Amino acid sequence: MPTSMVVGSSEDDIAEALTVARQLGDAVIVAYGNVNTGSLAEYGHKVYHVKADDPESVFLAVKQVYDEVKPSLVVAPTNKNLKDALSRLSGLYDLPMATEVFNVKVSGSSASYTRGFLSGRALEDDQVPLPAVLLIAARKVPRAQKSQAKGEVVELQASPAVKIIERRPKERGGVNIETAELIVSVGRGFRSKEDLKLAFELAEALGAQIGCSRPIAADLKWLGEDHWVGLSGHKVAPRLYVAIGISGAPQHLAGITDAKVVVAINNDKSAPIFKNCDYGVVADLYQFVPVLTKRVKERLHR
Amino acid sequence: MGDIVVLLKPALNPEMIRGTQDGSVDFDYMPLKLSDIDRNAVEEAVMLRDQYFKGSKIYSISVVTWGPASKRDKDVKMAVQEGLAKGVDEAYIVEDDSIVPGDPVTTASAIVAVIRKFGLKPDLILAGEATIDGFSGQVAGRVAVKLGLPYVSFARKVELKGNSIVAERDVEDYVEVVEAPLPAVVSVTREINAPRPPTLVQIRMASRKPQHMVKLSDLEGVVTPKRRLAAARVLAVKRKQMIIEGKTPEETADKLLDALASEGVIKA
Ligand SMILES: Cc1cc2nc3c(=O)[nH]c(=O)nc-3n(C[C@H](O)[C@H](O)[C@H](O)COP(=O)(O)OP(=O)(O)OC[C@H]3O[C@@H](n4cnc5c(N)ncnc54)[C@H](O)[C@@H]3O)c2cc1C
Repeated sequence: MPTSMVVGSSEDDIAEALTVARQLGDAVIVAYGNVNTGSLAEYGHKVYHVKADDPESVFLAVKQVYDEVKPSLVVAPTNKNLKDALSRLSGLYDLPMATEVFNVKVSGSSASYTRGFLSGRALEDDQVPLPAVLLIAARKVPRAQKSQAKGEVVELQASPAVKIIERRPKERGGVNIETAELIVSVGRGFRSKEDLKLAFELAEALGAQIGCSRPIAADLKWLGEDHWVGLSGHKVAPRLYVAIGISGAPQHLAGITDAKVVVAINNDKSAPIFKNCDYGVVADLYQFVPVLTKRVKERLHR
Repeated sequence: MGDIVVLLKPALNPEMIRGTQDGSVDFDYMPLKLSDIDRNAVEEAVMLRDQYFKGSKIYSISVVTWGPASKRDKDVKMAVQEGLAKGVDEAYIVEDDSIVPGDPVTTASAIVAVIRKFGLKPDLILAGEATIDGFSGQVAGRVAVKLGLPYVSFARKVELKGNSIVAERDVEDYVEVVEAPLPAVVSVTREINAPRPPTLVQIRMASRKPQHMVKLSDLEGVVTPKRRLAAARVLAVKRKQMIIEGKTPEETADKLLDALASEGVIKA
């Protein structure tokens, strides 16, 4: 009897979750949406597939497989639709559920893990009895290997009560900030949308992507949400993160804990970002950033 | 028709984090406050009531998860009071040391038990997408499934149309407009509205509104797994904190670039 169930909508997500799940032995896969089930079957586990990708359909499919397999562990990536779908599964059977976990260790009776806590200002080491549901943090776990055997593929149907009327893709600035090596990030210190060009010019000179704090994407909408860094935005791990006109609220810092080097440019020497950066420049961004850009151009491109 | 229940959590205030000597989080000394996103949920409840069902009531339910209850009482009352000042009519507070520290399993079952025990018949249950301490966003989904209600998560816009709710769900890559029959459970994001601070008059009136204190012995079906307090340590990301200064902006820029080059993060 398989002891774990893995849920996901992309091969990357599923392969990472499998690494955690295989600690307990055999697993089944519940894949949803538009995925290549043939490729997934090559991991050697039985694949259940539901075409729909709304959280209610995913919940209904997951519940069906859960009832059949009765796994001790459910592993999935952390994202909004899976928080929705798996919180319902957890609620139905009163299972403990934890999100954005890493360092997961599973034994026969319990799972231990680490996760961010208190808006990213603390880490908690927790342990839950099995059966449990774990949503793992992205890219903190290696991918599982494919196997010789090919798993069977079973198609599932779901009929949700919530009706989808329309779906519009979000405007994408063409960035994938989570994998960017260099990031120039902008905050409320910029007085207008036009002024962001100072940061764009620096980013271009460095070959960096543009990131931003929440107000820039959520309130002012000067940039698309794919640029948004932080607790409720994207977690980034660049070599270099340059925070310009960003105060350094804990919810912003929660997104940059994995950055190698953090540079802060801010005109308020008591801004919390200066306690959370490697190199700080206390200056008016309007004066300093153009000079920095000019020197980068001269030094990098001469 | 048209009553609303809004879930309000007195959460640990991350801004007031305290560490002990060995770097672990000192839970006893951290104050609680109304979780930020729950503020958006209560604002939305008030706006929906005013727009669609005038005269109906807004109830709030709070489950105290951080104890001991006696020590948290003041913070809890303040958080609940804030909801009442914003327009909640009656508050239910589940305060019982036997569920402390609480967890989402317990919290969801306690919320459902309150709804059943006091015969609340909400058309809508609103919650924040997540709370600022745990940020795992699972209580609303648990409540929905336990009550057998449709669940709409991460709503950044909500309207009522006849006996249905039409909401814009904010997912990572897309926005999805969905329609669900009422009664339903909805979790909202911070983008849904800009919470208005209560007026002085509202604050004064809030203290006269009913607050029902509920003990576990009053409730049926609350699941209380034996939870230990997780070991939590204050996250200290070690940064160099070097302030770079020069006589001119050019000199500062050069010093900064030298530092970055010596770190190997740029080639200048
Ligand atoms: C539940 C929750 C989740 C959140 N999630 C996120 C998140 O994911 N990401 C996020 O970023 N925030 C998030 N926030 C919001 C966060 O708390 C802060 O409000 C936000 O990060 C502030 O953005 P900021 O630093 O750009 O703006 P501000 O805090 O307003 O800072 C602007 C800074 O610019 C400086 N400045 C002004 N003028 C100049 C100038 N001419 N030159 C140089 N510097 C200048 C100021 O000194 C100041 O330090 C969240 C909040 C909550 C409650």
